[in-house]
Amino acid sequence: MTRTRIVVVAVAAIATALFVAGLAGARTSSSTKAHQNQAVSGTITFDGIWTSSSGQVQFQDVINAFQKLYPKVHVHYKPVGNNLPTVLTTAVAGGHPPDMADIAQPGTIAQFAKEGKLKPITYAKSTMAKYFAPAWASLGTFSGKLYALPFKAANKSVVWYNVPAFTAAGVTPPKTFAQLLKDAQTIKSSGTPAYSIGGSDGWTLTDMFENIYLRTFGAAKYDQLSQHKIKWTDPSVTTALKTMAKIVGDTSNIYGGTSGALQYGFNDSVTNAFSSPAKAAMVFEADFVGGVITSSTKAKPKTGFNTFTWPSITPGPDASAVEIAGDLFVTFRDNPAIEAFVKYLATPQAAEIWAKQGGFGTGNHNVPASIYPDPITRATEAPILTAKSVVFDMSDNQPPAFGATTGSGEWGLFQTFLKDPTNISGIQQQLEAAAAAAYKK
Amino acid sequence: MAAAAPAIEIPAPGDATSARILRAITRTPINIVLVALGAAWLVPTIGLFITSILPASADASKGWWQIFSHPSLATWSNYNALFHNSGLITALKTTAYIAVGNTLLVVILGALAGYAFAWLDFPGRDWLFIGVIGLLVVPLQMALIPMFKLYDTFGLFDTWYGIALFHTAFGLPFAVFLLRNFFVGLPKDILESARIDGANEIVIFVRLILPLGLPAIASLAIFQFLWTWNDLLVALTFGQNTTPITVWIAGQLREFGTSIDIIAPASFISLVIPLCVFLAFQRYFVQGLLAGSVK
Amino acid sequence: MAAPPPTGQPGRLGRYLVGAFFLAPALFMLAVWMVYPAVYTIIRSFFGPTGFIGHWVGIANYKTLFTTATLTTAIKNNAIWVAVVPAMVTAVGLVFAVLTERIRWAVAFKTAVFLPMAISAFATGVTWRIMYQQDPNLGAINALGKVISGAFSPAGVLSTALPSTPSIQSSAGALVLKTPTHPGGVALLGLTGIAPDQVPKNAAQAVKPAPKPGDVVGTVWRDFKPGGGKAGVVETGELGLPGVTVELRNAAGKTIQSTKSKPDGTFDFVKVPAGTYNAAIGAQTFAKPFGGFAWLGPNLIVPSLLIAYIWIWAGFAMVVIGAGLAAMPRDVLEAARTDGATEWQTFRRVTVPLLMPVLSVVFVTMIINVLKVFDIVYALAPESEYAKANVIALAMYFTAFQGAGNFGVGSAIAVFLFLLVIPVLALNVRRFKREA
Repeated sequence: MTRTRIVVVAVAAIATALFVAGLAGARTSSSTKAHQNQAVSGTITFDGIWTSSSGQVQFQDVINAFQKLYPKVHVHYKPVGNNLPTVLTTAVAGGHPPDMADIAQPGTIAQFAKEGKLKPITYAKSTMAKYFAPAWASLGTFSGKLYALPFKAANKSVVWYNVPAFTAAGVTPPKTFAQLLKDAQTIKSSGTPAYSIGGSDGWTLTDMFENIYLRTFGAAKYDQLSQHKIKWTDPSVTTALKTMAKIVGDTSNIYGGTSGALQYGFNDSVTNAFSSPAKAAMVFEADFVGGVITSSTKAKPKTGFNTFTWPSITPGPDASAVEIAGDLFVTFRDNPAIEAFVKYLATPQAAEIWAKQGGFGTGNHNVPASIYPDPITRATEAPILTAKSVVFDMSDNQPPAFGATTGSGEWGLFQTFLKDPTNISGIQQQLEAAAAAAYKK
Repeated sequence: MAAAAPAIEIPAPGDATSARILRAITRTPINIVLVALGAAWLVPTIGLFITSILPASADASKGWWQIFSHPSLATWSNYNALFHNSGLITALKTTAYIAVGNTLLVVILGALAGYAFAWLDFPGRDWLFIGVIGLLVVPLQMALIPMFKLYDTFGLFDTWYGIALFHTAFGLPFAVFLLRNFFVGLPKDILESARIDGANEIVIFVRLILPLGLPAIASLAIFQFLWTWNDLLVALTFGQNTTPITVWIAGQLREFGTSIDIIAPASFISLVIPLCVFLAFQRYFVQGLLAGSVK
Repeated sequence: MAAPPPTGQPGRLGRYLVGAFFLAPALFMLAVWMVYPAVYTIIRSFFGPTGFIGHWVGIANYKTLFTTATLTTAIKNNAIWVAVVPAMVTAVGLVFAVLTERIRWAVAFKTAVFLPMAISAFATGVTWRIMYQQDPNLGAINALGKVISGAFSPAGVLSTALPSTPSIQSSAGALVLKTPTHPGGVALLGLTGIAPDQVPKNAAQAVKPAPKPGDVVGTVWRDFKPGGGKAGVVETGELGLPGVTVELRNAAGKTIQSTKSKPDGTFDFVKVPAGTYNAAIGAQTFAKPFGGFAWLGPNLIVPSLLIAYIWIWAGFAMVVIGAGLAAMPRDVLEAARTDGATEWQTFRRVTVPLLMPVLSVVFVTMIINVLKVFDIVYALAPESEYAKANVIALAMYFTAFQGAGNFGVGSAIAVFLFLLVIPVLALNVRRFKREA
């Protein structure tokens, strides 16, 4: 009897001890989650494109929230502005890159990955799988490894219009491309040119082409062209270019004519359309146009400016597909501090800090649409998650020599197209030649 | 020279009113022309200044001359916003370190080398001098990548003295060229007698050459200071947290948006200091730069 | 030249050491920061785009240099720069230097002209970009052009107007209603493309007048209402265009009568003899306002850059040449004047030759600077014109640091630039030898 009692007491004691230990363990782990992580420490250098007047403050808020959770880690953000690609290339070539950087072109990321300069972020895979649809992860995946986190996304299938100009012309936002063309003529008759084109920045032209191609042929074919599985001399490209010529060839309907379109950059194209009196009625560009309008013009939301989705061309499931561009974060080194930061950035909490301040879109499907501060922002950012199909900016996906070089490649050739929209086959051949050369490397 | 009757009467002081009027008449067209030219030269800069005191929305919709019809639009808000940005003060300080630091070094090293090429005799001196001024043609871009790798190895990356040293090296060919030409024009006899008196070269250099060469040295200093104050590329490449004013301005540019309300006032603030340096040293500048070319 | 070593000085070794002490720091810096990178770049130019060792490509990069369109344009442009800028800068500097000798406020003028040198190239690019804007409302130069051209050929009141129906056609700038009218007929001239604020203040609702026997009546009106409306039909909500000069042209095209439209747009040609006529609105109504020169467009971008660059560097030339003038011996000039030479002759025969050393310093410096020109083109030229405005240093920057990051070709361009400047260097050396 004594032995049994000893055994029972021993088992009970062990069980209690285990239970208590388990409890204590559970409390510790949950309190670690709520409290700060004192184990991870270090400094992270981050080169980013956002400057004090365009997002640095908001991103710093995200960093501050992260640093509250990991007080021993310090993230140093360096705003580089538009010189980022150059600075990064030099830094990488010189062997002294920052710890992390923000790169908008998957094509550039692919090149760095091929050269072995990036560290994979495989540790973030599960976090990403929790919050992002698989397409987003594949954006940052090259040669089977995950290298980039798509932190910020921009909806490029948006058209911004001058409300008084539309009212004076008696038109409402068109749903189809054919309607758009008709409305453009009506707007011209009312005395205002319909289009404000910033052709001096070649990417505004490639964005227009990409939206047209996407809406005419659908996401699958778009991706094929994006990966150069179809050539630029394909008849589908001819059709898309002919459609684009209906806009860029309507010279008297562009503010400043073709010459003006070539000289005005993106910023000018926005200020031209939203100055008072309006010099033009519409701008075809992404959600970030809103920031330019509020900082450089006096136009007010709803009464001065508003948005509509890029009109559909071919009816079907991809009629309102969304083209996005984004800021992808890559890592050049690997250590616990960096891993913690990357995993944090993939969470909805990180995205929401910026989203609620406006000027931010995300593919994180745990971020509710209600977080956006105003209706126009909601209308431009929410489709990133709700659209049936989402594709990435084609020119950003190309090798940078073709898709992201000032004055040559896609950007330069579309500027040439703007100068003479009738020479379609000529442009196609030049595009294909440039693409072939870039892909060969 | 044949003493012919002077074609142009050189009036004595205290001369007749008619002569003075004649002089004024011949001077007036020049004055008018120069006033017009000077004003025309200032127009772009004035335009930049006016742009900096207009709000961004006004800058985007109409030309800067709208201020003459709407003076109430003028505002200091752009400047205010800049000064509230502590980064600006830090950037100005960094720029000062880099500019002053490298200018001092260029002056010292350039003077030493210039003196050596001018007054010391050693074999191969002339060929070496040709080699040094030959480096005038090396473009900045050539050195970026190789130096980047080197800096990383020696820990010079992202330091103000790393950037300053880069500027020093690229300023040396011109400095040596200029100072050597000037020193060559100094009176031989002073140096001769100093040598005969037994003074060694260092003493001669410090006690004689530097004071005599002050005009040329001052003008070199102004140019070097100006050029390095306004540099962007080198600082952008070799700095990360070290940001002089040019890099700081570039870093303020919005990704998407007209940044003229930042560029214009920041450029003006950045302009003030080199301008003061120029005005202060104007005297030396005018005298010294030409040394050696007109004997 | 150096003085021979006087007695009492150390021997050969001593001289070496002294020389070394003075030269060592400078030579060290030059060796590390300039010679080493130069040699590195030369070697690098024979290797591939991103890899270094093991990617030997021989002279392939140089071949690319001479066959790529953008690069050959860059070389051509630099040739234009070299041909134009040094001469212009030196000449302008010389003129300013000479003229400022005569005035008392020389310092103020010199400061004004030198000011551009103190502004960073980036800010200069932005400044001139603003000046060169094509839109006369935004660009200073074109605004001036608009004022001037407005004085000579003023813009028409309806410069943007377009016909609303195909029956109105453009003919030598005028808009003519091709449908013939006869006395007792009504001519409708509907126009679109007119912004609401372009319609004169006293405009009233457009009215289609009743025909009058023996007269030709009609309306000219803004044929647009929100939504478009029906083209060619006078509808409620559409305003007439008062004060427009309407002409009545006979079958041969000659204008036989003209009249002005009333606030409701109606006009009336009284007592028209029998025949076929066309109503028209003369070309002067549609005269386009000055549209501005496209300074930043493909045709004018290079001259625009040259002007901005000369604006910056004329100050440098003026100050340097001014110093040379100040150092010139006065007696030679006085002697020339006493001998009876005119100002112009004195200038040409005495001043300029005496200034030759100075002028050549400025000229040669400018040639070297212009061959390396980068900042101003980078900051001023719009992206779409980079290909047309390209210069060698810019091409190198883009090739090496953007997009592709082709350091092989980038290095080749740098070496080529280096080789180009060497003849200029030889010029300098020869001058130096002559002085010695």
